[in-house]
Amino acid sequence: MRIETRKLLDKSFSGAGWISVFLMVAALAIILLPIAWRGAGAFVFRATVEHRRMMLELFGVGDPAEVSAETAAAAEARRPIYDMLARFRAELSAMPVADRRRMAGRLAQLENALRDLLGPLPGDPIPVLPRQRYGQTRWDRALKKLETVLFRETWDYSDPTRMGRKVMVPRAEDFKGTSLEPFFADVKMRVADMLRPKLAFYWRFLTDESRDSHFFGGIWPEMLGTIYLTIGAAMFAVPMGIISAVYLTEYAGDDRLTGALRTFIGALAGVPSIVFGLFGLAFFINTMKVSQSKSVLAGSLTLALLILPTIIRASEEAIRAVPAAYKEAALSLGAGKGRTIITVVLPAAMPGILTGIIISMGRAAGETAPIIFTAAVSVGDPLSLLETLSQPTPALPWNVYNMCTEHQKLDELRHVQFGMVLVLVMVVLALNVAAIWLRARISRKLKG
Amino acid sequence: MTIEKVEDRTAASSDKAAAAGAGSRDIRARRGLLLSKNVAFRRKLFSWSSRSLLLLITATSASAVMFIFFYVVKEAIPFFLQRGFAEFFLSTRWYPSREPPEFGALAIFFGSAMVSLGAALFAVPVGVAAAVCLSDILPFKARQAVKPAIEILAAVPSVAYGFFALVVFAPLLQESGGKILAACALLFFVPIAVLSAIAIGGMAASRLSRENAGVWRWIIASVIAAAGLAAAWRISASISGVQISSGTNAMNVSLILGIMALPTVISVSEDALQAVGRELREASYALGATRAETIIRVVIPAAASGILAAALMGLMRAVGETMVVWMASGNSAKIPSPFYNYLEPVRTLTATIAGDMGEADHTTGSARYHVLFAMAACLLAISLTCNAVSELIARRARRKMAGE
Repeated sequence: MRIETRKLLDKSFSGAGWISVFLMVAALAIILLPIAWRGAGAFVFRATVEHRRMMLELFGVGDPAEVSAETAAAAEARRPIYDMLARFRAELSAMPVADRRRMAGRLAQLENALRDLLGPLPGDPIPVLPRQRYGQTRWDRALKKLETVLFRETWDYSDPTRMGRKVMVPRAEDFKGTSLEPFFADVKMRVADMLRPKLAFYWRFLTDESRDSHFFGGIWPEMLGTIYLTIGAAMFAVPMGIISAVYLTEYAGDDRLTGALRTFIGALAGVPSIVFGLFGLAFFINTMKVSQSKSVLAGSLTLALLILPTIIRASEEAIRAVPAAYKEAALSLGAGKGRTIITVVLPAAMPGILTGIIISMGRAAGETAPIIFTAAVSVGDPLSLLETLSQPTPALPWNVYNMCTEHQKLDELRHVQFGMVLVLVMVVLALNVAAIWLRARISRKLKG
Repeated sequence: MTIEKVEDRTAASSDKAAAAGAGSRDIRARRGLLLSKNVAFRRKLFSWSSRSLLLLITATSASAVMFIFFYVVKEAIPFFLQRGFAEFFLSTRWYPSREPPEFGALAIFFGSAMVSLGAALFAVPVGVAAAVCLSDILPFKARQAVKPAIEILAAVPSVAYGFFALVVFAPLLQESGGKILAACALLFFVPIAVLSAIAIGGMAASRLSRENAGVWRWIIASVIAAAGLAAAWRISASISGVQISSGTNAMNVSLILGIMALPTVISVSEDALQAVGRELREASYALGATRAETIIRVVIPAAASGILAAALMGLMRAVGETMVVWMASGNSAKIPSPFYNYLEPVRTLTATIAGDMGEADHTTGSARYHVLFAMAACLLAISLTCNAVSELIARRARRKMAGE
């Protein structure tokens, strides 16, 4: 081959390398950007008057006078709509029977759609479920619901060779020739007055309890559960990990036993996380009976096993990186081996050990599979410290799974799901960034 | 005498290799010290007991894996005693809740193999290319910038990946799957077409004639490139009509698992590439090789075993992953038809364990409970074997490197 060709090939090879790095970064961006963007929607969104009413009534947040004034204004805007409906109902009873039956069915559909959008209609009994007590609290959801008020969804199967096609039929056509025909244009025009959207910063999403399985409120029980599990796991794993690392670096000889210990610890790192979960169920709960059934304690123990190898490895590395001169100086001052390790080696290695601990805490916070059978439930109140010994808890990773696969209204709560994922990712990334920062500081310090 | 003792101690403890012998030498040094026998004994006892305590704790943490193996296998045995081996490994009929139940897990094993293989198909080429780029091509500053991206990729919790796969990616695939596939095919085939055009054109031109090689090269290369691009266009055009009936399928999961396995593959193979050392690279440059030739002919062959270990570890990560496959694989326990159809839903071992335990939990002691432990035992066996093999390969590679 000629030299030009070889150079060209060399260039294109470098190009392939760049592409793969770019692919990796792009994949990261493609995955994180939607989560960040839509997750931010759980905190910052256009809230309707229903949101402010709900916050006042369920959480006691907001100015009562202001909210009641606004509710009154919204009710004022809604009155013509409701009047129209009442007029139509009167008209309905004067219709011929066949028409009446058809129209009554359509009216019931319309009323349900309207209840979804604005909350209970005048004259309705107060519903038991909070989700039915209020209209749409978010403007983006309200616009979607407005569609269902204005349009009726049907499926077109006229072409047998293709899959069914969704067709939106304007409800105005259903009510053609009745007094309700101008109703829809009116609703569309007034919807902003009826719901009064305003930009809201809902930071209490992090610290509010959830009401009516996450329809309203925040994710505090999940946050707290994740905090308990993470700290619990660290509490069990850190002492064991550091002691094991000290033994392996300072005491162990280069013999068979040490080799075996290292192999086993390495193998522990390769065990799939779901197997940890099964083991936790079979051992901690069914055999050791640390708790009656799932509990934070059992989950923490299981997670502790999961992060143990990481902590051991990081601590080993950190202890090895302590200059031999430190140890020699301590020994030459007459300190014994144990004293040297406790007063000189461990403090010097502490930043490195801490880095490992933080990284593994990030891992514990994000792991789902080990806590499925040992600690997590989908709905629960925040636990007190004592209850962690015997009670299961909601936790961020589990509830992300649960809310986007098993929740009965999962399509309507996308903002909560994205918010939860965003919080989880931010927690884990914050821990990792802290670790990276700490490590950078150590390497700077070592360079002098 | 005191000075001598201190020296002895220092020498003993600073020498790491002799750390094991340190204790006994320590004691010998102490015997020279002016201490009563009683105190010396007490000190000896204390040091011995604290040492054994440390060993005990270390052994506990090391034996966790034995415990896990023991308990999982113990719970798995009743299943095999009750149902035998043949059905579990050879039948594809998985109906655990029927009466009578059937526990054929072959399709589930197949699903696991399928998504892991798919993940490796994506993660290994991209990961190795990225590792090469990181270790040999990128300037130092750029490398510092990319490293955190890799760490973030590794740190993002698996449930977040699963959420993305289920909520963002699956609907996208369902809606415009054909277009996405076509774009991927273009992205894959166009660089191959261009690269091979350049290579073949160059080789052919130098064979054909000496004088007009430059001209010939361009003509041949552009003809081949045009043909290759046309072929790539045809392929992607034919794919773009594909309708994906379900977005939660093997391909979706494979891709996401591949992305998740990337950091492992990259960091392990980058270590292997770094271990090759400057001498080999410089020798190759000195012989007139370009950077690409050096990497392909010298560096990668020298690091081959390390890269193999990286691939195995990436595969293992994909096999053991639960949340992504549980959320986004469709969870249908049958072998797709034809068997290489990545656009159909599958079900994996991990997802079955996670999903079925909820129902089996209440009937502890039934085959339905124990079959999940049988799966876990298989999973554990697979990953421990992979782990051991990759460790072995890596160790052998290190020894080889050290030998050279």
